[in-house]
Amino acid sequence: MKILVELSVNGERFEIATNPHATLLEVLRNQLGLTGAKEACGTGECGSCTVLADGRPILACLALAADYQDCEITTIEGLQAGSTLTPVQESFLEKGAVQCGFCTPGMVLSATALLKKNPAPTLDQIRKALEGNLCRCTGYNKILEAVRAAGEKMSQEASGSSGQ
Amino acid sequence: MSELDYVGKPVLRKDGPEKVTGRALYTVDMRLPGTLVGRILRSPHTHARIVNIDASRAERAPGVKAVVTHKDSLGVKHGFVETRRYPADQNCLAEDKVRFVGEEIAAVAAVDEYAAEEALELIHVEYEPLRAVFDPEEAMERDAPEIHPSHPKVREPFRNIAGKTESSWGDVEKGFDDSYLVLENRFDSHLRTHGYLEPQATLASFEPAGKLNVWTSSQGPFIKRSKLAKTLGLPMSAVRIHKAYVGGAFGGKIDLFGHEYCASLLSMKAGRPVKIVATREEVFTAYRHGQPLIVHVKTGVKKDGTLVAQRFRVINNCGAYRGSGVVVIFLAWGFAMLPYRIPNLEYEGYAVYTNNPVRAPQRGHGAPQMRFAVESQLDMIAEQLGIDPIEIRLKNARQPGEELPNGDNVHNCGLADCIRKAAEHTEFKQKYGKSRQTPESAGRYRRGIGIGVSSYFGGSLIYPNSSSVVVKMNDDGTAILLTGAMDIGQGAETILTQIVAEEIKVPVEEIQVIAADTESTPIDIGSWISGNAYVSGNAARVAGAEVRAKLIEIAADEMEARQEDIVLENKTAYVKGSPDRRIPYSELVAASVRKRRGDSIIGNGHWRTMRDEPHHPSLATTKGRWSENYAFDAQVAEVEVDTETGKARLLRAVTAHDCGFPINPLLVEGQVDGQVSMALGHAFLEEVLMKDGRTLNPNWLEYKMPSIHNMAVSEHLDVVTESYEVGRPYRTKEVGEGYVSAILAAIANAVYDAVGVRLFSTPFSPEKILQALGKLK
Ligand code: FES
Ligand code: FES
Repeated sequence: MKILVELSVNGERFEIATNPHATLLEVLRNQLGLTGAKEACGTGECGSCTVLADGRPILACLALAADYQDCEITTIEGLQAGSTLTPVQESFLEKGAVQCGFCTPGMVLSATALLKKNPAPTLDQIRKALEGNLCRCTGYNKILEAVRAAGEKMSQEASGSSGQ
Repeated sequence: MSELDYVGKPVLRKDGPEKVTGRALYTVDMRLPGTLVGRILRSPHTHARIVNIDASRAERAPGVKAVVTHKDSLGVKHGFVETRRYPADQNCLAEDKVRFVGEEIAAVAAVDEYAAEEALELIHVEYEPLRAVFDPEEAMERDAPEIHPSHPKVREPFRNIAGKTESSWGDVEKGFDDSYLVLENRFDSHLRTHGYLEPQATLASFEPAGKLNVWTSSQGPFIKRSKLAKTLGLPMSAVRIHKAYVGGAFGGKIDLFGHEYCASLLSMKAGRPVKIVATREEVFTAYRHGQPLIVHVKTGVKKDGTLVAQRFRVINNCGAYRGSGVVVIFLAWGFAMLPYRIPNLEYEGYAVYTNNPVRAPQRGHGAPQMRFAVESQLDMIAEQLGIDPIEIRLKNARQPGEELPNGDNVHNCGLADCIRKAAEHTEFKQKYGKSRQTPESAGRYRRGIGIGVSSYFGGSLIYPNSSSVVVKMNDDGTAILLTGAMDIGQGAETILTQIVAEEIKVPVEEIQVIAADTESTPIDIGSWISGNAYVSGNAARVAGAEVRAKLIEIAADEMEARQEDIVLENKTAYVKGSPDRRIPYSELVAASVRKRRGDSIIGNGHWRTMRDEPHHPSLATTKGRWSENYAFDAQVAEVEVDTETGKARLLRAVTAHDCGFPINPLLVEGQVDGQVSMALGHAFLEEVLMKDGRTLNPNWLEYKMPSIHNMAVSEHLDVVTESYEVGRPYRTKEVGEGYVSAILAAIANAVYDAVGVRLFSTPFSPEKILQALGKLK
């Protein structure tokens, strides 16, 4: 009793036979082998399963795969072009915002979505955007710093390229 | 002293790129062809006799490939502690009795999770419920239901005693008689959990030739190997624990767990790989949490605040099996006596069996509970004597070179400096007491400031007792570092690489790390005894030094210079004074192979803390050396209390700490921040609620961990007491778990400073504060 789900993930189209109530997270992790999105709770409480649907962060553990056939899904694996890190990924490294790394894919994606919309967020806006992502290791301060630094980097890059 | 290029620098984590790109593979991500899904059947009863287990229907169910119960096991018990005094007391799968809700009874492996879940329902277990007890003081009473017989060496007529620690020096009674002021209080703490994000998980694959391959989310592969081999009856060499990234642990992933044993046994029976991942609900209800302590403390002081005598009685609710319960009552003694000089002391600690899930170490392992008690009471004493909190701490703080009553030495202890720095930086003396002097009309929100101090050991002698490290040169002049150390997020791989980089002058990025694999890497003490930086770090240093010596020797030959004139720098060697003529390491390796009978330049190092001690200190008497180095810290908290709602929050945390020499300041800050965050969860947010042995809030919706909204400002003040010199042993201290404790006490003291409410139990809930303010009936 399977259905065929068509998903567009990281720019590629996939046709997947799956059961009708499979979550997007199950399909990504178990069928497409994209294990960057993590399952820490499976019930919408931690944000470690965050992926982007048309650029907006969603909790893949609560999303039905079948409901996301018309969206472009971006996972952590599809964030960077080639092997260059994005400014958000780079800043997470440089500011020490990564420890065990289990929350990191979700954090990076939530932050990326925020900075796309608002490259110069206030600390409160960053907090708001990351409030659904739990991190047990870092205590968040370095994550805040990293997101702010990434925003600055992106603005600089943008003004640099527009100035050419 | 030579210039330092790699240690003491905020080098970026080695594993960072893998982690920010989602490529790091954790155990939950691992999968082998043909992997079966494993599930565990757990006890629904708090205490019951097992009359019969019938798994025959499950065995025949479609999709089921293996079912295991106690009958399939060898019946070998396991325990966090396995000594003559405290033998293993827990079955891997329950035999004739269950003693807590969640105890493992059977496990199944099936083609998918649906088949596995259905099979669990087909296992029929007949129980005969028994009377249960959950409160440790009730469990000690003579007519309490017996969970296990009391320990034979404990003379008191108490029931359910899993173990006891006793220690004393001086004459406590006389001390109290001689004291100007004596206070006696009881402090209680509550149940919290580790909150690691990656759930407990294991993938086990038994090969037909007899080798068991295991990937498991842990804090060190060697202890897992030893416990799996023993319980499964396999030679140690037939069990290989492979490396996987670990999504947090904080003490909760050390022991042998049911899912590790069951996945392995199922794989052996089914002949296929088996993976078990615990659900978050299982982690909350059946796995191991921290250990709430009841702490009675009686303290006598002179008029000037000098400590004269202290008596402790500690009771630990250690759950249905010993777990680390008997370790906590030993450590609680240590954490009570480390920071201050106490001329007369009497300590007794009991670990008591109850029908709750088993307990594990949790970051700080007893220190937060003990420091909360001692530091709170010290502030009460200071107030009664009219001394300020800083002075009373300075008066009693241990000084460099002091010997501890167990024969350990605090060496270059920087505690007094930590206290001074923290106080100055926060203008403690100017702020302290202000809020309580202002009239009630001054407003609804009150601010307060408080201080606490703490100390933590850095490595002790528990299996595997030592660390070894191998460093190999590559042909191209880069290097490979082999270590059994497990990076659980603290940055073990990074700091070990920095140390090797410093010794051999190869950049950190050009040293490849192979880690945490029981077959391809040497033994390691593990990331759970606060000994990584010191024990594994020195092993890495020694291995690096051996390579360094060989590089220098061959370089001297090649350049026709004296060895002492050779300078190593960035993968090249030159003769002092002529840095323009350099030989790259690639040529030195080639020369060594050519002229030294093929020596491709490999170094190995090993280290053991307290190398002349035969074994760890006695858990029963505290006799024997405990550790070679102790970290110290003073932490200041500034809080705000809403006097209408009773809600308190942490605004600012300042940590002044002596960790010896910070090998990587960025990682050190990360450790401090993480601990401040955990402590504020401890103080205000987190509590595992249990009623009659059942968990009431097994999820993060109802168990509140700090979110990004809760975090306070966290500042770090380094008190550096060590230097790092190439080629010399160093005594760096731990930073991974010492700083969850003083800050908890500091928060309690700051709440008192804000509103005059003395808290005698954690958490510091609005109800308690309102009650004390007389605003709740
Ligand atoms: S796994 Fe989706 S929110 Fe926790
Ligand atoms: S880095 Fe471990 S949970 Fe965030």
